[in-house]
Amino acid sequence: MGPEISDAALVARCRNGDDSAWGELVERFSRYVFAICSQGFRLSRHDAEDVFQDVFTRAYENLSKLRNDDAVRPWLAQLTRRLCIDHLREAAREAPVEDLEPDGMDEVIELLDEAMSVREGLAKIGEPCGDMLDRFYARDQSYRTIGDELDLPAGTIASRISRCLEKLKGAMEDSGTLVRPDVG
Amino acid sequence: MATNDIEELGRLIAALPPTPEGWVRAAQELPQVRRGLDDLLARAEADAALRARLIADLESTLSDAGIEPTRHVLADVRDRLRSP
Repeated sequence: MGPEISDAALVARCRNGDDSAWGELVERFSRYVFAICSQGFRLSRHDAEDVFQDVFTRAYENLSKLRNDDAVRPWLAQLTRRLCIDHLREAAREAPVEDLEPDGMDEVIELLDEAMSVREGLAKIGEPCGDMLDRFYARDQSYRTIGDELDLPAGTIASRISRCLEKLKGAMEDSGTLVRPDVG
Repeated sequence: MATNDIEELGRLIAALPPTPEGWVRAAQELPQVRRGLDDLLARAEADAALRARLIADLESTLSDAGIEPTRHVLADVRDRLRSP
């Protein structure tokens, strides 16, 4: 997890046929697309995989049509929503459902957008903090597993995580992503 | 984001769990797979025997061409073989 180039620069490299840039774009947005499918639409693992692959296939085919390279994230969100609905509509031929998009989808996307901003913060604070916080919160690894895998004493992991969260908070305040609390 | 609660950061990190590695890898390999398929299907246009092999035994023919016959690749090729 290192400093990242902008979304727009990454899209431009993809459009020029840079396979490694495409790999990075998939890596950057894979969790976002997966979360919309699984948390937003509560698709089964099998259905989520279908939609996930479909989203990136369509994205690959249509990247040249994206008008604003900075808007790749909302574009992917919209594409994922549409393909989730198409998938549910297909399934609903056998068992009709009243409303294909669950209530509160805008709020889910908003939360995931905030989560993506935090991931950008994780990239900024570098290693080992970014990796450690990801392991603890996103991968749900125990102190012992983190300690074993990063070759650190398990008894120090909790305090390290706490310090890393402070570092993350500071980085996000510095970048204006997180509002600094009023003092006094 | 306007929060003073550091725990909120933990909650937001947890909101984006990792995607299964195989899914990510398959999506990342899309450009190479696409090029391989385009090449194979172009050759099949001009080679009736190859086209017949593709239709008769798609999985093996793809494997022989160095393309992993995943569920999504198979569906894609079947669509393209059906289209005029």
